[in-house]
Amino acid sequence: MIEVIKMENISKIYANGPTEVRALDKVSLTIGKGEFVAIMGASGSGKSTLMNLIGCLDRATEGEYFLEGIDIKEKSDDELSYVRNQKIGFVFQSFNLVARTSAIKNVELPMIYAKKGRQDRNDRARLLLENVGLADRGHHVPSELSGGQKQRVAIARALANNPSIILADEPTGNLDSKSSMEIMEIFERLNRQEGTTVIVVTHEPDIAAFASRVLTFRDGKVILDHKPTLKKSKSLAYKKRGEADAVD
Amino acid sequence: MLWIENIHLALGAIWANKLRSLLTMLGIIIGISSVIAITSIGASAKGAVSDEFESFGKAYMYLMVDYNMLAEQGSDSEADAEDLFSKEDVDALKERFSEDILYAVPFVNRNLSARVGRTKAEISCTGVDDNFESYNKTINVIYGRMINESDVKGGRDRIVIDNKCALKLFGREDAVGELVPVTLDNESRDFAVVGVIALEEGLSSQITAAIGIDSYTGYVPYTSLLSGNEVASFIEIYGNPDKDVKAQGAAYAKYIARVKDKSEDFYIHESAEGQQNVINQVLGVLSIAIGAIAAISLLVGGIGIMNIMLVSVTERTREIGIRKSLGARTHDILSQFLIEAVILSVIGGIIGTILGIGIAALGMSLANVDVVIQPLIILLAVVFSAGVGLFFGLFPARRAAKLDPIEALRYE
Repeated sequence: MIEVIKMENISKIYANGPTEVRALDKVSLTIGKGEFVAIMGASGSGKSTLMNLIGCLDRATEGEYFLEGIDIKEKSDDELSYVRNQKIGFVFQSFNLVARTSAIKNVELPMIYAKKGRQDRNDRARLLLENVGLADRGHHVPSELSGGQKQRVAIARALANNPSIILADEPTGNLDSKSSMEIMEIFERLNRQEGTTVIVVTHEPDIAAFASRVLTFRDGKVILDHKPTLKKSKSLAYKKRGEADAVD
Repeated sequence: MLWIENIHLALGAIWANKLRSLLTMLGIIIGISSVIAITSIGASAKGAVSDEFESFGKAYMYLMVDYNMLAEQGSDSEADAEDLFSKEDVDALKERFSEDILYAVPFVNRNLSARVGRTKAEISCTGVDDNFESYNKTINVIYGRMINESDVKGGRDRIVIDNKCALKLFGREDAVGELVPVTLDNESRDFAVVGVIALEEGLSSQITAAIGIDSYTGYVPYTSLLSGNEVASFIEIYGNPDKDVKAQGAAYAKYIARVKDKSEDFYIHESAEGQQNVINQVLGVLSIAIGAIAAISLLVGGIGIMNIMLVSVTERTREIGIRKSLGARTHDILSQFLIEAVILSVIGGIIGTILGIGIAALGMSLANVDVVIQPLIILLAVVFSAGVGLFFGLFPARRAAKLDPIEALRYE
């Protein structure tokens, strides 16, 4: 197995006045190329902190983190920007598309910072949007798109520079069940067909069911590293039943 | 490549907040437009004044008592009649410098009150020698002739009036042969019209028209206004244009002092050149005053840009976070906001330049003077406004560039 992510004794400590908060406590984990991993846990369990560290948005207080063999600790802020640009595709809960900017321009953004030529950028952005079923929405701005469409633009954007990993933070948190399933199916397809490493943070078991491996966090530690508890076929029914209950 | 993207972004952001952007630019617009307006007006006025002086000729000058010196000497700053110039003094000067002095007269200018039937007119009359039209390029005789040698020698009551005066007094421009009855020093005299000139629309005629003086121009033999023992305050001279004007003036003043038995520096000369220097000084002072106003409004404008850029950075904190997560480096964000600030102030500078030229053109068209546009000043204004944007945009742009991506992404 080729290791994409290798963490050894990673801790993240926030100094909060006299008290210190250990958001992550000596976490060690390895994620291989082509894995589909779900990270679960209640809020405050440290899963968001882990996402920030994996995504090179933040640095660990202690421990070692290698992303495709690159020692993140050694890198300057601008070098980390380059690592994010080339190796990581972010998908956020709140989509985080740049407002008043067309879908195509949003997808082009990572390629602009990668200094890719105008025509290449445009061609690739069109292809990526086509792959997520939005070929005809390229010139729409985010406010003209539905939640599911926005998230598909975000996925297209995440894939712009052929990253090593897709890092999705609660990607279905703001979506209805139908869109959620569509989004998860896109991740699944990317993982199966393209061999993209996908890491999804979620607290919903039916979303985690799409993964092949689930890491459960509590109090800044990995307490479980296991197969999904729910079968995917059941998860749809579960989700739908849940929504029906909510309507009542 | 990123430059083009950033310029696109900046224009988009400015366009998205049109009113805010315009208000932000206001300080720059006022600053730049006032500088452009004053420099254009200054250059135009200088040009017009030069044109005016050129019509007199390069070697035009006059001699006069150094009144400053008289005032410094104390008590009585009035010159006595014996200090002033008689026909004999001028003749002596002409004889001594016969090779260089083309034309010299004791300068007399009187307002004649003319009355033909019930029509009255004030004619500002200048006493001239013959051949005046050879040296003063503004003279344009349309009917008859100018004052000639026999008019001067005989001290005859002959007059050349301007076409407007002719029209007013006689109802037609060709008034040659008519008599103009005037009152001068409580004495009635009849001046015979020998010629009519067309007035050129110059700066001075514009100024007199603007002030509301309804005055006409006339030329008479200087001998008709300056009888026997009368004296003039100035000697009007057309010197040799091929020789140094200053040196000539100094020599003439010195000679006149010797003739009149005065100290060497009792008389001074004034030339077109000297007059232009005075005008340049006035414009210089005016430019400094306007420049100070412009500097203050540019400072305020710059602070306005800084303020709005800080607002913009705060508003777009999340966008900055997104860009950073997608791989934007510190200087990518820095240049994005810096370019926005620079474009904002350069647009302000361009609007200010256009406005300034407009103001200058409007002002100059009222004075009927050609507006002079200086490309260098425009370039300087645009470069300077870019500099203002760069300077005041730096702080907000640095703030944006230094944002922590996690904090920025979390910002609501």
